[in-house]
Amino acid sequence: MKSKILLENIYLDFPIYDSESFSLRNKIASMSKSAFARMSSEDKVNKVVHGLEDINFTFNHGDKIALLGPNGSGKTTLLKLLSGIYTPTSGKILIEGNISCMIDIGFGFQGDATGYENIIYAGISRGLRKKDIEKIMPEIEDFSGLGEFLDMPLRTYSSGMQARLAFSSAIASAPDILLMDEFFSTGDIEFSKKSEDKIFEMMDASSILVFASHDLELLKKVCNKAVCLKHGQISYYGNTEEAINHYKEFYG
Amino acid sequence: MNFFKNNLALEDIIYIIKNYYSWSYLSYFDLKLKYRRTFLGPWWVVLGIAISATAMCFLWSTIFNLDWKEYLTYLYSGFIIWMWISQLVVDAPETFYGEAEKYIKAYPNPPLFYVFRKCSLNLLLFLHHLPLILIVTYAVNKKIELNVLYSLPLGMFVVFLNSVLFTTIVGMISARYRDIDPLLKSIMPPMLLLTPVLWKAEMLGSHINYIYLNPFTYFVGIIRNDLIGLDFDINIWIGALVITIFQLIIFIILYSKKRNRIIFWI
Repeated sequence: MKSKILLENIYLDFPIYDSESFSLRNKIASMSKSAFARMSSEDKVNKVVHGLEDINFTFNHGDKIALLGPNGSGKTTLLKLLSGIYTPTSGKILIEGNISCMIDIGFGFQGDATGYENIIYAGISRGLRKKDIEKIMPEIEDFSGLGEFLDMPLRTYSSGMQARLAFSSAIASAPDILLMDEFFSTGDIEFSKKSEDKIFEMMDASSILVFASHDLELLKKVCNKAVCLKHGQISYYGNTEEAINHYKEFYG
Repeated sequence: MNFFKNNLALEDIIYIIKNYYSWSYLSYFDLKLKYRRTFLGPWWVVLGIAISATAMCFLWSTIFNLDWKEYLTYLYSGFIIWMWISQLVVDAPETFYGEAEKYIKAYPNPPLFYVFRKCSLNLLLFLHHLPLILIVTYAVNKKIELNVLYSLPLGMFVVFLNSVLFTTIVGMISARYRDIDPLLKSIMPPMLLLTPVLWKAEMLGSHINYIYLNPFTYFVGIIRNDLIGLDFDINIWIGALVITIFQLIIFIILYSKKRNRIIFWI
């Protein structure tokens, strides 16, 4: 099956709730003033941050897209929108193919559980069956290089070891569409090299890749298209080389 | 029909049924972790219930001037069912903004997924304590009615269904308005005294009908009455059914309208 991502006029607004608007007392007070008039326009009275504005693009089978932009420009938000974590405030979104998001890979690890248990736990959180995880366990075991530490509770791990475990347990899936946020800067030289190779392998295997990163050389190597974001809007969309030049021009 | 097309509540319920393996395994895992690093593990809780219920039985059967044997089954069953119900009520506000927050923000499971994970953990805990009721009832009554075979699963199903609806509704409201959590935490202890858990409905004499104003009466009743061989009370089942339908309607309206907002509230 051909994978495809299509976004049309996507807007995503984040309402900001401060302590005032979070309180029920305030809501009741304001309701009594203007009856139910305000209740229906709940979000209009709150402050709103525009996360994404007027996003339009189509990614087809074989596209490897680089997401560029300064901090806070909406790269992770866009990835989370594509993964289905966020739903757009307005606009049309169409996705064909199954998705794996490597955005926040260490989510849900439990300090009291052992490394092995956490691998199973992470896999099941991603919708895998226990027997499927056990099948690839040797590979994960080998990849993590944690050896007998896998039998020990996670809270005894150093942060580098935790990152190894998180990455190793995330390599289990073979998705059509791979969404990836820059995260693999942790770990020692040996592991960075190993995980980079693995990431390249996964990127090759995926039919669509969306990759947010600040490593321009890396992006040039793996991506054939690029989206440049600025304040939640697309400021450039085209081939990687030109997008990077555009990006450098603005942010030097 | 427009209502059924693209209805978020229905879509997510289908997702939950398809992915039953994930949430049930995760709650089993939560249960295992809960008792990690204890020697007696889950038996601590069972032992704790046994100690406090037995002590309460001797105290209250003297105060109320009751036959302690009969009261023992009543108190054990009531106390254990109450533990399930009060736990799920107190847990409900933190469904989305507590532990689940980091999952909701990192992985695209529907919010209802975390409701099921939490509610089935509470169900598992109850199943753990249930044998205690059966043992005590059998030891005192020397028999257990056959109709328990269908009334117990049915009663548990109704309570579980209501726990899902209640947890979702309260979880959503309190993700938006954080006042609900302290409110429920202060209501539940006195509710124990206002619900026929420790005392029997007939002790109220001519005021007996007041118990039907309390929604918890029904949910304690539908599990307990047959289990310990009390008289069948149709009012209890009707009441439970009415509350279920009422919650179901609120759930469908609230969830399908505001499901996508939850992530912005937490």
